[in-house]
Amino acid sequence: MSASWGKLFFQLVLLLASCGHINTKTPSPTSPSLDPISPLPSDIRRVVLKGESHTEKVELLNPVDLALECIWSGNENKSPNITGYWRKDGEEMQSIRVTVQLENDKYTLRQVFKIVSKENLGSYSCSFGDEAKVDFLLAGPQIGEVRDKPIVSYVGDSVVVKCKMDEKKPKPVSWNWYRANGTDKEQIFYAAEPQKYEIKNHEWATKLVVHKLTEGDSGFYYCEGVYAVSTTMGHVELKVITFLEPLKPFIAIIVEVIVLVAAILIYEKSQSKKNSAGGNETNADQTNTPTPGDNNGPEESSSTRQRKA
Amino acid sequence: MAPAPANTLGYKPPDGGWGWMVVIGAHISIGFAYSTPKVLSIFFKAIQEDLGASYSEIAWISSIMLAAMYAGGPVSSVLVDRFGSRPIVMLGGLMCGVSMVIASFGTSIAYIYFFIGIIGGSGLCLNLNASLTIISKYFLVRRPLANGLAMAGSPVFLCVVAPLNQYLLDRFGWRGSLVILGALMLNCCVAGALMRPVALPPQHRRNSHSSLKTVEEQRSGSNTEPEGSCMKKAKKFINLSLFKNRGFVFYLIGNMLYIFGAYAPIVFLPVYAVSQGLDDYSAAYLLSIMGFVDMFVRPCTGLLANSKWIRPRIQYFFSFAMVFNGVCHLLCPLLNTHASLVAYAVFFGVGFGMVFALMFECLMDLMGSQCFPSAVGLVTIIECFPMLLGPPTAGFLVDLSEDYKYLFLLMCGSVIVAAGLFLFVANLYNYHMLDKEKAQKDQEQQKLRTSENQEQKKLRSSENQEQQKLRTSENQEQQVSTAEGEQEEHAAESVTVRTGTKDENEAQA
Repeated sequence: MSASWGKLFFQLVLLLASCGHINTKTPSPTSPSLDPISPLPSDIRRVVLKGESHTEKVELLNPVDLALECIWSGNENKSPNITGYWRKDGEEMQSIRVTVQLENDKYTLRQVFKIVSKENLGSYSCSFGDEAKVDFLLAGPQIGEVRDKPIVSYVGDSVVVKCKMDEKKPKPVSWNWYRANGTDKEQIFYAAEPQKYEIKNHEWATKLVVHKLTEGDSGFYYCEGVYAVSTTMGHVELKVITFLEPLKPFIAIIVEVIVLVAAILIYEKSQSKKNSAGGNETNADQTNTPTPGDNNGPEESSSTRQRKA
Repeated sequence: MAPAPANTLGYKPPDGGWGWMVVIGAHISIGFAYSTPKVLSIFFKAIQEDLGASYSEIAWISSIMLAAMYAGGPVSSVLVDRFGSRPIVMLGGLMCGVSMVIASFGTSIAYIYFFIGIIGGSGLCLNLNASLTIISKYFLVRRPLANGLAMAGSPVFLCVVAPLNQYLLDRFGWRGSLVILGALMLNCCVAGALMRPVALPPQHRRNSHSSLKTVEEQRSGSNTEPEGSCMKKAKKFINLSLFKNRGFVFYLIGNMLYIFGAYAPIVFLPVYAVSQGLDDYSAAYLLSIMGFVDMFVRPCTGLLANSKWIRPRIQYFFSFAMVFNGVCHLLCPLLNTHASLVAYAVFFGVGFGMVFALMFECLMDLMGSQCFPSAVGLVTIIECFPMLLGPPTAGFLVDLSEDYKYLFLLMCGSVIVAAGLFLFVANLYNYHMLDKEKAQKDQEQQKLRTSENQEQKKLRSSENQEQQKLRTSENQEQQVSTAEGEQEEHAAESVTVRTGTKDENEAQA
């Protein structure tokens, strides 16, 4: 009887051990999720090169597997093999240098790039030997309306600086505002100074309201629209002037008006003084003398009037 | 030498001399009046962003200004009649300038409506009315030319002030630009200073009433009612007796139809051009071409209207100009290339300029210079309605049909052609009736004269008879008295002779 208890006990222990083992095989939830479970969407950009070089702009917002394809019809020598290589931002990507075969009278170079973050953007070039090149500029969408003239506002006033994205293109996830400080040094705003700055974001546009302007607020302001992989930058210039600036032409014009009015009235007074000095006869003459030639006209007309009657 | 139009002023106007300086003043004043509501639209976008208003709210600024400018006509007429043109133009310039400067400090859209729209508009209204009136006082023979030159101020100022405004906006922002624009409008005060009142010789002032009634209307273009009534009623704001004048009513109807269709093509031309494939820049350029052509057409029309063939028939020339303008619009839907649209802009400028150069000259011609101030006030306040209704109606039609061509150009073109034809027929009728009335009057006057002559003859003959009687009775009396006198003398002589002989006798004894 103890042998059967022993067997049962041994089987129980085995059962428990195997259960424990099953438990440890379950993957823990804390493992990193860097490995994409679902594949990235793919996109292809194909350029058939006519001539020696070409530049293609590619707008990207979201992570994508981007296939870039360059097709070249070759030059006079149509050699059967040619070296094809890729460059990113000017630096050659050594690992993907290939030898391209001439097929159907064309050379084809194709490469898939994973675009997942901002660093993956930039300028990608495919080159056929040293003879032909296609540049692909990968970037975010351009800001729709870029204001080329500066916004002018006054000290103590508040101003609205606006950046607007073309509504046909997708809207940014968020907006940021920067201010140029010295040369290329940029500072980010938050609601750090709520009395001074106010950021109002709509879907395709963003507005920066600056209160209590001072002359130091003049300069360039940059709005940045943030997408999943890319950002896009627009700039607006703000000029703050004091009210003295328009006041100078204003006073100049007022002085001119007063001088002219005074001159005209004084001239008139002097004319009438001359006439009154000449006596009443010249007064009556004055109405007739300006038009000596026309004196005969109305007289003729009065005579014709009588004739007609 | 053009046959002189009826002189109802009571004095001979200078027709030159200082009058040309007055034309310069009127040119400046009218230029500001017509161009300011249009050029302010350059600031609208900047004001809209700063004050947070919507596009339609901003567009109301121009409409309010135009409405105030036209509706204030009667008030302006009364003031001009009372004080003369010079102080009124100076006041108008001051109002405009000050209102612009105050508006530059605005923080809400209602503030801007009040200062730019209402006060600025009223200032411009005073300017407009007073300038037109003083031209009618200074010119008679050369009046169409003077009117053409003065009305040319509108396109000239439009072409000059529009780019200036753009420059000011880029340099000073909209607030600074309003301040400077206000200062520029004070130049209307300079224009006002030039408008010296006409120096009337004193005896003409006294006789003005009687001469007005005795002057015969030589040309049938004048009104038939005695002008003295206009002078008495000028104190009233709205002189309803003007409506009894047939010519005035016809003019008013024709003008209202014209104004309804006139402004809409200007508003929609750039948009239409873009829809036909032109780029934005060329489309905007079309309006500049039209303005440029307009600048030269107005004085030329004035010169042409002054010639001896056209001056007596100036009302017909006016209706021709309107029909030309309307036909231009009717042909526009057929044009869709860049070159043909430029040609359309040129012809549009010609037609538009001709009509506006003649518009007030024809009113002066119809009403005469005494009735003109109250007439022009009445005309502008009534024209306010078609002017404000025209472009929105065209816009509504465009929205309905989603096609610019056939609806709004047909609507504007046909309305304007109808106005021109109506005026032509109406003037034919009017002149015909005036001729008839004049013939009747002449007959009556002749009858009066002959009956007067007869009475005078009778009087004279009876007077003569009485005189003869008197003379004969006098003669008889004289004879009697002389006869008696002789007898006495004889008696006296005989007495003296007797006494003389007596003395002689005594001396001898």
